[in-house]
Amino acid sequence: MTSARPTKRTKSPRLPTQTLPAKIFHWTNLISLFVMLFSGLQIYNANPVFGGRSGWNFPDYLTLGGWLAGGRNWHFAAMWFYALNLLWYGLYVMVSRRWQIRYASGSDIKALRVSQNAKRKNYALHRLVYTAIIPILVLSIASGLGMYKPASLHWLASLFVDWQTLRTVHFIAVPIFILFTFVHSLLALRVGSIRLIKSMFV
Amino acid sequence: MSKSISRRQLLQWSGLSSASLLLNSCGSNLWSKEVGQAIEPLNQATQALLLTQKPVPEYSIDQIEPDKLLINTFAQTPQIDPAKYRLQIEGEVNHPMQLSLGDLQTLPLTSMVIQHVCVEGWAAIVQWGGVRLQELLRLAQPKPNARYVYFKSADGYYESWDLVSATHPQTLMAYQKNGQSLSADNGAPLRLASPIKLGYKQSKWVTQIMLTNQLMPKTGYWEDRGYEWFGGL
Ligand code: HEM
Ligand code: HEM
Repeated sequence: MTSARPTKRTKSPRLPTQTLPAKIFHWTNLISLFVMLFSGLQIYNANPVFGGRSGWNFPDYLTLGGWLAGGRNWHFAAMWFYALNLLWYGLYVMVSRRWQIRYASGSDIKALRVSQNAKRKNYALHRLVYTAIIPILVLSIASGLGMYKPASLHWLASLFVDWQTLRTVHFIAVPIFILFTFVHSLLALRVGSIRLIKSMFV
Repeated sequence: MSKSISRRQLLQWSGLSSASLLLNSCGSNLWSKEVGQAIEPLNQATQALLLTQKPVPEYSIDQIEPDKLLINTFAQTPQIDPAKYRLQIEGEVNHPMQLSLGDLQTLPLTSMVIQHVCVEGWAAIVQWGGVRLQELLRLAQPKPNARYVYFKSADGYYESWDLVSATHPQTLMAYQKNGQSLSADNGAPLRLASPIKLGYKQSKWVTQIMLTNQLMPKTGYWEDRGYEWFGGL
């Protein structure tokens, strides 16, 4: 490390600008994720994960597809956009070393524990939260493929113990993503105000 | 020609809209048919690619879930006299056949404990016993141009499969369930059972197996109402 000037240490993190790939990923992810979510709720209603045929149904305005076959059409179309988007961006993040620069690391954990700088702590938390959602994004694909192809991908489905567990794991992503969207948006606002949000969306 | 197509489309449309009216009065099925048509070729190619003749791993007897297999029927349950029952195999085969239950029972019995998955989202581990469809087709000898297999049922249900899935070693014409002879509700005297297709592909009360070299306009009861044709697992 080059010797840093004392003033630099206390400086708040520089406002990031977003590269085009990051913006494309973020938009595609947001849209395909919510198509998956609403068409998933349509599928859910055909036979609720909790309670079976007598279980509680989601109201129509939260569902996409109109009926089970329509919901499945949307789900199995959007899955390509959702999964391939995550794949190419994952490769990009590795190859461009964005992983080291923009995602949570040991120094963020340390900042959260010991830093006196509120801004640094917010930033660390923000990074931690959006880094932590990545395994959940991948888990949705794994559990979804396990239910889509339980025979061809038997090894994958059997990682989830049994069918009910597999369905539950796949469904749990819904509340997690909704909660994440709120927390992540609030943290982004707190870290960089509306300018940071704009940097990701336009 | 064009006249018959447009009439068919009309029928299809009216069937679709009445089905969706029945199932969902609030019409948020915006574009779902178009989305399905656009993605179906890709999804079908992917499923065909994943399909092999390798048997799917099976479960043990004590993993059977007897009360999880729900009964789904589109019309009423036909009561078939086992003594009068005949299975017909015809179409693109060299030896069209007619088999009684007795004939079927002299053929090798295959038993499997597999997971039955319904498109609605539930699944059940079931034991099925019966004759491999592969074995029946070996006797009937499909002509080289045969590609598809149609199944007709006593209740009017109809289905079509790709020949590769139909000759999978775990695709059975079953007459036993969970160690007992099949009940009328579950498709007695003879039904399709396989771990590699969704439940709606597994016709009950099968009376006719017909091989064809192409798909006909009607591909299956639920498929003609908008469900995916391949339905692979
Ligand atoms: C569930 C939906 C969302 C997911 C899965 C998600 C995921 C992510 C991920 C993984 C990053 C890191 C990108 C990178 O730096 O390489 C990120 C960044 C960002 N996201 Fe989201 N996001 C979602 C929704 C939102 C929403 C609704 C907003 C705003 C209202 C938002 C605003 C941002 C901003 C501003 C950044 C840049 C953060 C920074 O680089 O410091 N995201 N998002
Ligand atoms: C590539 C990714 C995905 C694949 C292959 C996939 C596949 C599937 C399949 C096959 C089902 C039907 C399960 C059943 O019959 O019970 C399903 C249901 C569902 N999916 Fe996905 N899915 C994926 C991603 C997602 C995502 C990202 C969400 C959003 C949070 C989601 C939400 C749901 C919900 C809520 C259900 C209904 C739960 C149920 O009835 O079991 N899926 N998905």
